[in-house]
Parts: sequence; structure tokens; C-alpha cells
Amino acid sequence: MKTADAWRLSAIPYSEMAFKSILQNSSNMWWGSFGRGSSEASGQEDLVRRALRIARFDKLVITVFVIAAAGAPFLPQAMGASYGISASVTLSLAVSFALIVLYGVQTLSSFVTSGPSPVLSTLPLMQEDVSLINLLSFVRTSDYLVVGSVACQVFFVSILTSSILSGLFMLLAGAVNSVMGVGVALWLSSVFYRNIMGSKQGKRGGALRLALLLAWGVVVLGIGVLFAGAGYLIPLVQSVLASPDRLTGSILSLVYPFSLGIGVGSIAHGFAPTLVEKFALGAMVVYFLIAVAVSKWSTSSVASFPENASGATRSERTHDASVALHGPVTAYALKDLRAASSNLTSAFLLTLPAFETLIILLMRAFLPTLGTSTVLVAMTLGGMVSLIMPLVLVSTEGTGFDFAKTMPLRMRTIVSSKALITTAVFLPAVAIVYLESLLAKPLTSPFSIMIPLASILAVAAASTLEVRLFLGFAPRGRATFALQEFARMAAGGGVVLLPATIYAVSYIFTFNHAFATGAMFAAASAEMLAVTEFVRHS
Amino acid sequence: MTDALIETHGLTKTYGSFGALNGLDLGVMSGEIYGLLGPNGAGKTTTLRITAGLIEPTKGKVTVSGFDATKDPLHAKAQIGYVAEIPILYESLTPRELLGFEASVRGLAKDSMNRRVRQLAEAFEVTSAFDTPIATLSMGTKQKVAIIAALLHQPPVLLLDEPLNSLDARSSRILKELLSLHVQRGGAVLFSTHVMEIAQRLCSRIGIIFRGKIVAEGDLNQLRARAGEKDATLEEVFMKLTNEASEVENTVRTLRESFFDDEDR
Repeated sequence: MKTADAWRLSAIPYSEMAFKSILQNSSNMWWGSFGRGSSEASGQEDLVRRALRIARFDKLVITVFVIAAAGAPFLPQAMGASYGISASVTLSLAVSFALIVLYGVQTLSSFVTSGPSPVLSTLPLMQEDVSLINLLSFVRTSDYLVVGSVACQVFFVSILTSSILSGLFMLLAGAVNSVMGVGVALWLSSVFYRNIMGSKQGKRGGALRLALLLAWGVVVLGIGVLFAGAGYLIPLVQSVLASPDRLTGSILSLVYPFSLGIGVGSIAHGFAPTLVEKFALGAMVVYFLIAVAVSKWSTSSVASFPENASGATRSERTHDASVALHGPVTAYALKDLRAASSNLTSAFLLTLPAFETLIILLMRAFLPTLGTSTVLVAMTLGGMVSLIMPLVLVSTEGTGFDFAKTMPLRMRTIVSSKALITTAVFLPAVAIVYLESLLAKPLTSPFSIMIPLASILAVAAASTLEVRLFLGFAPRGRATFALQEFARMAAGGGVVLLPATIYAVSYIFTFNHAFATGAMFAAASAEMLAVTEFVRHS
Repeated sequence: MTDALIETHGLTKTYGSFGALNGLDLGVMSGEIYGLLGPNGAGKTTTLRITAGLIEPTKGKVTVSGFDATKDPLHAKAQIGYVAEIPILYESLTPRELLGFEASVRGLAKDSMNRRVRQLAEAFEVTSAFDTPIATLSMGTKQKVAIIAALLHQPPVLLLDEPLNSLDARSSRILKELLSLHVQRGGAVLFSTHVMEIAQRLCSRIGIIFRGKIVAEGDLNQLRARAGEKDATLEEVFMKLTNEASEVENTVRTLRESFFDDEDR
């Protein structure tokens, strides 16, 4: 079979794979939830429609985002900043690497569990042709992302350095970076979905899941830090590279992706590389060889997926069939937590508020004290980020929601359990603020210690309201579904914002922290009472 | 006052201009296995899903053990065990987690419930899969887990949508025995199938559903009398009552001609 024919044919297994991956991990469908009617939230037909919608637009949306993220580190120089290009290239490669991994893990879950298309194996095709189509389906998972980000990087480097050779080196570095990213995504998917989802859930599986989640968290936190601190990071890295301290520069030159950044930067300077740049160019050759090996491993893994996939699961025997009992709310919350932690994306969302708070505190790391405004901003933004959980938890229900619907369950049991998880997800953010105030920085006002407690109340009220709105009320008018869904999230956001706003306004008028804190507490408590009554009577 | 455990009156369900159910009336008595027999799209699954409280009727009423399924869903659902045609389960959970979740929500007593879980798991041979995520189980094992979940709380009413589809011979036999025991103890079963032999052997009464309505009901002899076919099989009776006999003959004739034409080519 000609490669062009195989490429054309691979579009169908790819679409099927993307669709199945999204359908398989219904918690990944949270953004596709917008525009659906809550009354049909659990219907198979609705889920399929949502998955198709996401499969169609997901790659395109992410590609635009990846291109923007890959290009952003070059903007300071494009606008006239005077420092070299190494730091911008490094940052751009780091961001595009992380985003390729993030997207790849989501898309490849169905690939690693059932192969791209079992139907292909039943057709009268040569095994080599099936393998080629599988390989090209795999290539399609990240083709736009890779081409878009690398083209963007090559464009900026060529323009900013006015050097075609630099552009070619950037092309090589971008290709190495993309191959590594796709390889890591494939490996992460294989480990997570095959070895954990496909086997008995034991302590070893739990530890591995935790380790993967932490690794995942580091990737996502890395992206957050890169975005939040790009303005500081580029000059900082550039000054380290330019400093006379050869040891730091030499170490950095060996670390991925600094070596690629320094290597590309060295070409822009002409053909007289410094010692650090020589190290970087040497490391670049090593990373190129690693990328070749990763590419071979990925190709052979993908080509053998139809055979491997069928044996992807192994069940371990157990002899005890007893089950543990809890109260209805706890049982429902545990069920939600288990479902949410069964895929990397939604599992990581559980830790997102803590990471968000951490990023805000890191951004103010240069301040000697923990100011009231920092606590207020950290808690409010952490709370707002927590409010993505209700939508994720409702989406995680998937078709299984029909199972719950056949049971004598009260709406408020479901609402309470999901609000409980959302509030619990916010608690680590509170703990981080308290730890910072206890161990690292004193609070500027002792009353600030009450702000996180008021925020917990506000988050509990907001999540209760949001879950109730998502579960209980069908939007009217198909054209405005999306707007109405956003309005539900905005309602939750408003509940979190209101006590913080009341604090700010009270303080502006009274300059009294005690009064402002009291007003914030009163507002959050009133919200909680009002929402509880609303849920009870609706 | 009737001793019907399931009753529907004028049950209607429309999707846009399509009428899935068009004023369906049926009653399932205590001690009875009622087979709902009909072609694909006749309204069997819709009837069961409305009775289970999964969807609301456009018009009409369903009562389960006297509780209105729409107005008093909590009490109605407490009376029901439901097995869907394609098992609906939380697939990321293990059977142990799923059954623990169900038992917790239903507030079952720990000791007696655990004894029942162990007995059912052994009977359907799923104990070894108890810690394996449901997503990775075979369709047959998923079906067995769904059946255990439906029987766990010993409900008086069982709603079973093609429950034997993916089961092996052993499990089918066990389920049939369990259903017999269930009705002997005064329970009721509403059972949907399109397999005539199963309906003929298992059900005390059969309702033939066609285009969202019961067109005939009774035991086999009553249905034969209704169709005017004295020694007919259930399949023949069914074809007669749903006016599908001549249509099927025409289709088979067309297919036969088409296949012969292909061979000629």
C-alpha cells in the first residue's frame, strides 16, 4: 500500500480513536458539556454527541493554544528586548513539550487499551499495511500540534536571528522535542491505562497511580510556572547563561531542554562557540540520538498495538466478595473520587486549586510578609479554580449515572457529595496558606488568619449551588445552551467572589481588618444558609 | 384494589414527532413473570426505562407496588431491581466498589448483605473479578455484575431488559431458577426479550408490543386463540399478530433473488 493511501485511510481509525478516548474518559468531556441540556445529561446519545463535538474541535483548539504558547516566549525579543535567544528557545520548547504530553495522554488512552482500530485487523489487509495505518493514525494524534509549534519556533528564530542555519537548528531541536513529547505521552498512557486501569487495584497500583499523578502534577505545575513567570524567567535564565560562573552554565547546558536552547542560540552567535555552548551542542547530539531511539520505540509499540492491546488487561484472582458500607453521601463521594482518579486529567484537577495557590504565593515570593491582599487573592483564585470540579464531577458520571438514577437517591445526597469533594479539593490550598504563614512569612494582620475559613464556607456554598444548577435545571432554547451553562459557573464564581468583595469594600471604608473579616464571614455564612435553603426547597 | 405490582396506564413517550410508546397499558401481578415481546424499536426498552425511573413519560402513569414512579420515585425505586440491555455500571469502579456503593446508598444491613453478595458472586462466578475495574471485564461478566446489583436488595419487582443476552448457559440457568424462586415468594418480573423460545418457556404471561402498544397479551394458548392459529408456535403467533408474516416473506424472497443474481454474475 502506498503511504499516501495509508495516510488517507488512517483518518478514519484516528477519528474513531480520538472519539473513543474522549468517550472512555467522560471527565475529559467537561468542556464539551457546554451546550448540552442537563435533562439529558446522562443519556448515551448526549455523551456520544459531546464526544464527537470534542473530537472534532479539540485538536484544533489545542493547536491554536500550543502555537500561541510556543510563540509567546519570543515576544519580548520581537518587541525589542536586548537579551539573547537561548532562554526564549528553551522556554518555548519546555512549554510545547509539556502541552504535547498533556494532550497526548488524553488522546492516546483508547490507543493503548484497545489499539487504533480493531476493525482493521478483520479486513483483508497485509499486516504491514495495518501496521502502517496504525502508525499514521498515531502520527495524526499530534500532527497539527507538532507542525504548528515547530513552524512557529522556526519562524521566530529565523526572523529574530536573521539566520537560516539557526532556523534549521531550531527545526532539528523542535523535531527532537516533539518526538520526546509524543514518546513520553505514549509511555505515560501505557503505564497508567494498561498497568493500573487494567489490573487489580492493590497497594502497588495505588502507589504507582500516586507517583504518576505527582509526575503529572509537576508537568502541569511546570506549565503554570512557565506561563506565570515567563516575564521573570527569560531574563533570569539568560543572565545565568551569560554569567561568568561556568559551572552553572555547564550544568544547564547538559539539561534538557536548556541544551537545545543554548545550542540553537550558539548558532545565532556565529561559529565561535564558548565552552558552555560546546557542551550544549554535544548534549544536543546525545538528545538527538535519544529522540531517534524514542521514535523507534514509539513506532514499534504502535505497530504492535493490535496484538498487545487485546492482552492489555490482566485480572488477579480474589476469593473474598465482601463489600464495605458507608453513609449515602460518603459512598457517593467515594464513588466520585474513585471515578475521577481513574484518569490522569481529572485526577490532576483534584489538585489544581492547591497548585494555583502555590503559583500565586510563588509569584509573591519576593515579599517578606504574607499580606492580607495576597491571602485574599490566593484564596479567591484557589476557590474559583475549585469550581471547575462540579462540572468535572457531573461529567465523570457518564453513562453510569443511569445506574445511580435507578436507586432511591435524593438529589441533595448527590449535591452534597459533589460539594463535599469540591470543598475538600480546596482545603489543601488553605493548608498551603497557613503553612506559609506559620513557617515562612508572618501575616501582616492577625485577622487574615480568618480569611481562608470564610473562603471555605464560600466555596462550599458556591459548589453546592453550582452542582444543583448543573444537575437540576435544563437550559431553555438550544441556541443559548452554552451561555446558560457558563451562567451556571458564573453563579458559583459570584458566590466565591462576593465575600472577598465585601471584605475589600469594608476595608476601604473602615480601614479596619477586624470589621472587614467579620463582614466577609457574615457574607459567606449567609450564602451557605441561602444555598442550603435553595437546595432543600428546589 | 388490584394485586398488580407493576401497572401502566396510557403510557406515552414521544421523541419529537416519533412516538416510542402510544398509550401502553399493562399490569404485572405478584407471582408472575411477564414477558414483553416485540421487534426492535417496538417500545420494550422505553417501557422498562420509564418504569425504572430513568426517563419520564410524556403522558400516562406507572405505579410500582402502588407507588407512582413519577410522583414518588424514591419509594418506587426502592421496590425495583433493574438490569439494562447493555449493562449500565460505573465502569471505572471494581465490582466490589460498585456493589458497596449500591448497598451504602440503599442503606442495607452489612451482615445479611455481605452474605448475599458472597452467595450471588459465587453463583455467577464473578468473585475472582471482584477487584478488577468493570471497564476491563467481558460483556458477560458485566451482565452478571448488573444482575447481582439488581438482586442485592431483594426487591419485589425485577425489570429485566434482555438479561440473558450475554450470559453463558450456566448463568442463564441460575438466573432462570432465581426468577422462579422470586415469583414463588410473591415477587413480579417484567422481562423484555425478542427471543421467542425464552418467552415461551419462562414467562407466565406474554404481552406482544408493537409500535408502542400492547397488541395482544395472555399465555401461549390465549395468544394462539387471538391469532386464530391453534397449534402455532409463539413465533408464528407473533408474526401473525404484528402483521409481519407477509412482509418477512417478501424480504426473504427479495434477498434470495438478490443472492442468486450475485451467483449468476
